Amino acid sequence: MSNEILNYDKVAEASLAKAKRDGAETMWDRKAAQKTQCGFGEAGVCCRICAMGPCRVSPVPGKGAERGICGANADTIVARNFARMIAGGASAHSDHARDIVHAMHATKAEGPFKIRDEAKLRRISAEWGIEGADTKETYALAHELAEMALGEFGKPFGTQRFLKRAPQARQDVWEREDIAPRAIDMEVTTLMHSTHMGCASDYESIFRRGMRTGMADGWGGSMIGTEFSDILYGTPTAKASSSNLGVIDKDQVNILIHGHDPNLAEMIVLAAENPEFIEMAKAKGAKGINIVGMCCTGNEMTMRHGIKIAGNFYQQEMCIITGAIEAVVVDVQCIFPALPALAKKYHTRFISTSEKAKIAGDMFIKFSEATGLDNANEIIKIAVENFPNRDASKVEIPDIKQDTLVGYSVEAIIDHLDKVVNTNTSDAMGTVKPLTDVIYAGVIRGAAGVVGCNNPKVEHDYAHVTVLKELIKRDVICVVTGCAAQAAAKAGLLTLEAKEMCGRGLKEVCERVNIPPVLHMGSCVDISRILHLVNLCADVKGIDPALLPVVGIAPEWMSEKAVAIANYVVGSGINTYLGIIPQVLGSPNFTKLMTEDCQEFLGAHFVFEKDPLVMVDKIMVDLEDKRTALGI
Amino acid sequence: MSLTDLIYAGSNAVAGLTEGAVNDAIEKYGESHAVGYPDTAYFLPIIYAATGVKIKTLGDLPAAVGILKSLITNKDDLGEALNAGLATAVGAEIIEAIRYLDGDPYAEDAGIGFVSDPIIRSLGVPLVTGDIPGIAVLLGESADPKTLAAIVKDYQEKGLLTFMVGNIIEQASEAGVKMGLDYRVIPLGHEVTSVIHVVSVAIRTALIFGAVEPGKLADFLAYTKERVPAFVNTFGPIDEVVVAVGAGAIALGFPVIADVEVPEVPGALMTQADHSKTVETSLESRDIKIKVTKIDVPVSVAAAFEGERVRKDT
Repeated sequence: MSNEILNYDKVAEASLAKAKRDGAETMWDRKAAQKTQCGFGEAGVCCRICAMGPCRVSPVPGKGAERGICGANADTIVARNFARMIAGGASAHSDHARDIVHAMHATKAEGPFKIRDEAKLRRISAEWGIEGADTKETYALAHELAEMALGEFGKPFGTQRFLKRAPQARQDVWEREDIAPRAIDMEVTTLMHSTHMGCASDYESIFRRGMRTGMADGWGGSMIGTEFSDILYGTPTAKASSSNLGVIDKDQVNILIHGHDPNLAEMIVLAAENPEFIEMAKAKGAKGINIVGMCCTGNEMTMRHGIKIAGNFYQQEMCIITGAIEAVVVDVQCIFPALPALAKKYHTRFISTSEKAKIAGDMFIKFSEATGLDNANEIIKIAVENFPNRDASKVEIPDIKQDTLVGYSVEAIIDHLDKVVNTNTSDAMGTVKPLTDVIYAGVIRGAAGVVGCNNPKVEHDYAHVTVLKELIKRDVICVVTGCAAQAAAKAGLLTLEAKEMCGRGLKEVCERVNIPPVLHMGSCVDISRILHLVNLCADVKGIDPALLPVVGIAPEWMSEKAVAIANYVVGSGINTYLGIIPQVLGSPNFTKLMTEDCQEFLGAHFVFEKDPLVMVDKIMVDLEDKRTALGI
Repeated sequence: MSLTDLIYAGSNAVAGLTEGAVNDAIEKYGESHAVGYPDTAYFLPIIYAATGVKIKTLGDLPAAVGILKSLITNKDDLGEALNAGLATAVGAEIIEAIRYLDGDPYAEDAGIGFVSDPIIRSLGVPLVTGDIPGIAVLLGESADPKTLAAIVKDYQEKGLLTFMVGNIIEQASEAGVKMGLDYRVIPLGHEVTSVIHVVSVAIRTALIFGAVEPGKLADFLAYTKERVPAFVNTFGPIDEVVVAVGAGAIALGFPVIADVEVPEVPGALMTQADHSKTVETSLESRDIKIKVTKIDVPVSVAAAFEGERVRKDT
């Protein structure tokens, strides 16, 4: 594909030119090889859930084949395909969370898995009703909490414990509409059941069951993943980092950590600090060991340790193309299977580590909670020993990097807000009231959570950055996670200086609170932090979050996880804007249900809008309508 | 009503009054009649600072009214609302200037009205040295004159310069607060527009001591925000005009502390219903730190009492 679409990103242009010279294939080559993608799949009207198929029905009502062999029509097929995307996404997040909880179950005082935020351990334990949460021995409590959390995945009765964090008004909606998620695995399983051949055919019912499964992710898997990661590895606090491919250092052993699960990455970071390895690196002619992150594992590491961000999803190949990466270490999710072959064009070792994501083509080192640090040591050693194999003639690191501020957990945000609370007023410390105050007073018009992936259907990062810049200009404070956060980091939006790009109100807020206008809240599971924050704001006012001038946005989404996320955000009462249109247009009924009708029973809906500027206009109308309804 | 709606309601009202007053004055005196304040080299100081325009005659005013009306966009946006607050300040400055056409309008008032250049120059040194650690602007009518007086005395003891507008002047006076420049308690007047004379002080501080160039509004706002440690306390119910004036104060960087419920903005607009905490709340909001060595004597001790004259009670 032509490089024209990449004008936005100078790094991309240079990298792709180099890839061509090196004879390396990238996602753009493969996108071009796909030619025109199938219209039936694009509209969601292709079904292959049984062996009578594959069936495809007409995406235009009243024309062509209207039913599959079993009799399923476009509504049913679209709803089922969409639901299965949710199941896929919820599974990914939840299985990630399960590993974190297992690691917590394996914690002991002597490590390497340890409790690093004991206060949070006790806080969550108390929230879940564990008796003696403030007095029990740390590790006994951690193991008890971990076991309880593992129950959330498969308990036979009851709903997710974290649902209680929402204001009563929202809990009532979930109760009434029967979308309060039960055990996480149960929701996924039962959704796979419902979408089996010859089960559910009512598209609205499938939509609701999908919604509940999404909710099991946001309020279950993802929230457990986030909170338990904080307990294990520390709750993020504001800190400085740096981003873009320029963070790769030609004088050091560069190790790229890519994937999602902090269990592996934390061990890698721990191992890389071992003086023995640093000496070894120096002996091999390197100045040291440079760990850089990508995608969500990169986000986890930057949030907690300030590890530099090499890039987001679409840059995973470019990273290798720099020729300066000794090892790419991956665990699960969003890792191109193309990487091992690409790595072979250079000296780079590609190491997959998870049994769940064994990636063929180079090396597999099985990572487990029992042997975590040993595995990490082995990986570091391989990387260091690979340094002399680097071909200097192939090294070309784009000289572009951007300083950035990261680490804005809910706790860190509240900590910042405390600075503007006048100690002589009746306002308590440790709340989000200053935030709701400025929203209610109209100093800022609302808040947006901008999340999601990259997608070669659109110019990379363009929609992320455009939406963010336009929103902050209009006094809408933004929080970001995932690859959207990394786009913002590269664009310089995660800096205190970015206040100059804001409207007057948001600029004042940034100055007074001493924060960037766009706050990096972490990885994709950390979207649960955004849920928590919005619900705390709703709590201050005692209202359903659906009434707040808040939106969710996924400008360049790509994965099934993004679909699960969008569902739980809508299910939580927050209108969600999608910059890539999901594969549902083959059913006008299902499309209308998503974009209009669900408003009635959920208090929120999806909006599809490809043009980021038009999207911002729609969002502003949405936010102002909400303000008017609240009388603010 | 939302906060911005309140601000616009007040600023539009003041704009209307200003336009009416200007038209009436021109009709009465003609366009070439001189207009201005006594003892100042800065014409209408706020307009001069904001635009660089030297208003000398009534005929210069309609253009200024045009500018102030253009500042009121009625848009739901803080920057725009703060501009409307500044427009309210410009309107008040014009209205007050017109009041001076018929001689000193404050001749019969307990307030002093316009603060002359020499007074500002005399305050300059103690402001720069921190001898005057802050400027308190008190506005309104208190439901409880006793606590009001306690607040004023507290500011006095801490060395702050206090300006007063509204019926609180008599209230404080009756409760035993001594006033005058020497006491650092300056009654300005009873009309809400007379609060503009303290804005004028802040702006001329930037002109005189900051040497900020007239016409560079942003520089003035930065100077007042960073260098003039002022804040506003309002007493009693606040109407739209007061809110609009308050927005002007916020634009200058001065926080407003009300004793009634308002749409709160942390650090800028706050409610403190407990008058025993008004002083501490205000000082903290403006980041004014005062080191006071309390001398345990039966009378108040502070620099504010330096110019006091001792007379027989008659």
